[in-house]
Amino acid sequence: MTAKELVNKIFFVEILKAMALTLSRMFSHAVTIQYPTERRPIAPGFRGQHALAKNPEGKAKCVGCGLCAAICPSQCIQIFREKGKVARYEVEVLRCIFCGFCVEACPYGAIVLTENFEYSNYSKEALYMTRENLLSNWDKYMAGKKGEDYFKKFWRPMSEDFGTPQSQAVFRGRR
Amino acid sequence: MFENVIRPETLDTLAKFGINAGIIIVKIAIVLGIALLHVAYATYFERKVIGHMQVRLGPMRVGPHGLLQPIADGLKLFFKEDILPANSDKPVFYLAPVIFMAAAMVNLSVIPFASNFVIANINVGLLFIFAIAGMGVYGIFISGWASNSKYAFIGGLRSSAQVISYEIAMGLSLVGVMIMAGSVNLSDIVKAQANSVFGIFAIPQIIGFVVFTIAAVAETNRTPFDLPEAENELVAGYHVEYSGFRFALFFLGEYIAMFIMASLATVCFLGGWTIPWYITTVLPFLKYVPGIVWFLLKVYAFIFFYYWIRATVPRYRYDQLMAIGWKILIPVALANLLLTGLVKILL
Repeated sequence: MTAKELVNKIFFVEILKAMALTLSRMFSHAVTIQYPTERRPIAPGFRGQHALAKNPEGKAKCVGCGLCAAICPSQCIQIFREKGKVARYEVEVLRCIFCGFCVEACPYGAIVLTENFEYSNYSKEALYMTRENLLSNWDKYMAGKKGEDYFKKFWRPMSEDFGTPQSQAVFRGRR
Repeated sequence: MFENVIRPETLDTLAKFGINAGIIIVKIAIVLGIALLHVAYATYFERKVIGHMQVRLGPMRVGPHGLLQPIADGLKLFFKEDILPANSDKPVFYLAPVIFMAAAMVNLSVIPFASNFVIANINVGLLFIFAIAGMGVYGIFISGWASNSKYAFIGGLRSSAQVISYEIAMGLSLVGVMIMAGSVNLSDIVKAQANSVFGIFAIPQIIGFVVFTIAAVAETNRTPFDLPEAENELVAGYHVEYSGFRFALFFLGEYIAMFIMASLATVCFLGGWTIPWYITTVLPFLKYVPGIVWFLLKVYAFIFFYYWIRATVPRYRYDQLMAIGWKILIPVALANLLLTGLVKILL
């Protein structure tokens, strides 16, 4: 043991340093967010509860092609068609992993993930989303300009644009 | 007919005795009330201090800034089921928390809170505190024994070994104070400090003070020496099997023991209800502040130190704990004793 180590031990130098640190932390600002009264800002492109998009006439955009159900890794989307129309469109939210593949796969931009994350419930039935629930979610969270912007900005609806995004470095022809 | 039953002188003595007893009962009521309120808000203070040191907020929900949290906790403990382990030693199981808390509470009677406010101003005050604080270990140990649970038993064993080891170091560190004050009466120790050159014994007895502080943390089973209730190995140690109000008694006892240790540090090393003369000569208006304010300020500073240590230092291993106690603190305290005695003889 060197003399310096001995002095450090006798005068509790390490412990005193640690105590200075904890004391300085005591007067720093706490990082706690008091949840129901304060909320963390929702990150852009947040993947929350599902909704089925509506067109300007107020009808569902979904045509029931089944691409979303096909790509879904947890296979929680069920679509039943009768006479060429969507009869039932159901999402079992408890099994959903919120990967967003369904939104990317949809050629009509008919399904979205909204910013809503506060829909916990005591019953399984309440978390088994039917077509009506999903359509009303659109009205609740995505109606109007906000939903449109959200959709265009983060999900790049393929119904409008099938090209490579401008930010991607690719060959774009000679100018 | 009645004049000979109680003679006037006897009546006089009786009246005096009655008045004295009444005063003492009032004092006891005040001290008990303050101690219970102290425990309630010491837990709040602890959770807030540790919370902020860990960059959290601590209790915030019950009342403004969580101020009613201790009351909610107390109510919860009152209404909890009182569980009795099937194979426990029942009379002893019932007795243990009472012994533990009573041993902590009795010590309140000899602490001088202000110049004239002490319930029992006895001449062996310091020794009395040692004796009764040692009694508290019985509460811990027999609670571990009576619970018939391995965790409680190991906790009880650890606690008794730890408290016995550290009691020696603590006693030896306070002998230096006894030598300097020439008395074991706590009020006399405070007066001796007020008349001394430094005003407080913590300056000439700095080695004793450091030893006492470490031993006091160990004696009250607080982090970093909380081996008897080490959460991650013994669940909760000696009071695992206790629930509801019996657990509350242990909790009460622990916080009152902390208060006692802080009071002892205040009385023996930090000048009790007095402030050093060199401060009053610089700032004369401080003389008019009542002594109880200085006393409580020092006590709560010491208790804050307890919390501060808890938020900073991780728990020691058991062999490290024993090594610190026997190989470092006791020799250092003995050396301090020798030094103090030599200085006392030479000066």
